[in-house]
Amino acid sequence: MFDPYNNAYIVVLRDEEQSDMLPIWVGKSEASAISMSLENVTPPRPMTHDFMKSLLDAYNAKVISVVITDLSEHTYFAKIHLMYEDSEYTVDARPSDAIALALRSNAPVFANNSVITKQTSEELDQWLENLKPEDFGKLDS
Amino acid sequence: MSPVDPPKEQDLVEYRVDRILEEANTDTRIVVLVRQNGPPDTFPIWVGATEGNAIKLALDTMITPRPMSHDLIKSFAEHLDITIQRVVIADVKSSTYYASVHLSSKGVERTVDARPSDAISLALRAPCPIFITQDVLKRRSSTNLDAWLAKLESKNIGAPEVQET
Repeated sequence: MFDPYNNAYIVVLRDEEQSDMLPIWVGKSEASAISMSLENVTPPRPMTHDFMKSLLDAYNAKVISVVITDLSEHTYFAKIHLMYEDSEYTVDARPSDAIALALRSNAPVFANNSVITKQTSEELDQWLENLKPEDFGKLDS
Repeated sequence: MSPVDPPKEQDLVEYRVDRILEEANTDTRIVVLVRQNGPPDTFPIWVGATEGNAIKLALDTMITPRPMSHDLIKSFAEHLDITIQRVVIADVKSSTYYASVHLSSKGVERTVDARPSDAISLALRAPCPIFITQDVLKRRSSTNLDAWLAKLESKNIGAPEVQET
């Protein structure tokens, strides 16, 4: 989804019951990396996150889950949980990279409760009210 | 792992990233590789703006507040004790370059197929050497590139810097 007010893209996460939603603002190339995977587009050459997954696959490292841990101000935080040789590893990442990799690895995406609460702010409601129907739609990549 | 056969060591020529050029009014960047040893040589690779910027960040050793995609790949390698040994520009098909990233972990070697932009971006961060195979060097189109690059660079002087978010 394109945000014309901030000239950025929004990744909208929903919980399984479709009741809560969590918008995450990302740049164009990050949005395109996520959108390609959502739409099952196979590019002729591996994109950055395809390469990232190949590197993990080469050593049988598995992405177990990703967790959006903080979306405060302009700094977004996520953790990627990996399983490799019977040990678990946690790696710091931007939410956009974490989501792009999770979609390619069929791994679940979680968000901390604190993150969801923060986002249901007045500011966000206002912003959503201002959205026009044509702002919704697929990202052209 | 990779569709390309691992080339023999003597077939590899080492290059380094010299600079990134912007083509005015396009979404394209040119990664200029120069030969590390032996006769001077310039090897340009056209990449997208996003890819070029990822390389430029590493070339300028810029520290971003949050890890960029290739910083994350490096972080994976560090966590899992995987060494990024070298990247090789190993093939060219219909004007598209193909790269391979050579990895090693506890004696187990793996090669992963990549776009040259991802390979170079990772090589600068690893850091590890960048090679081009003799075969690729032979098969590139050689139409007085140095003169062409000089012309392009003189045009670029004073061009506004593109700011990317």
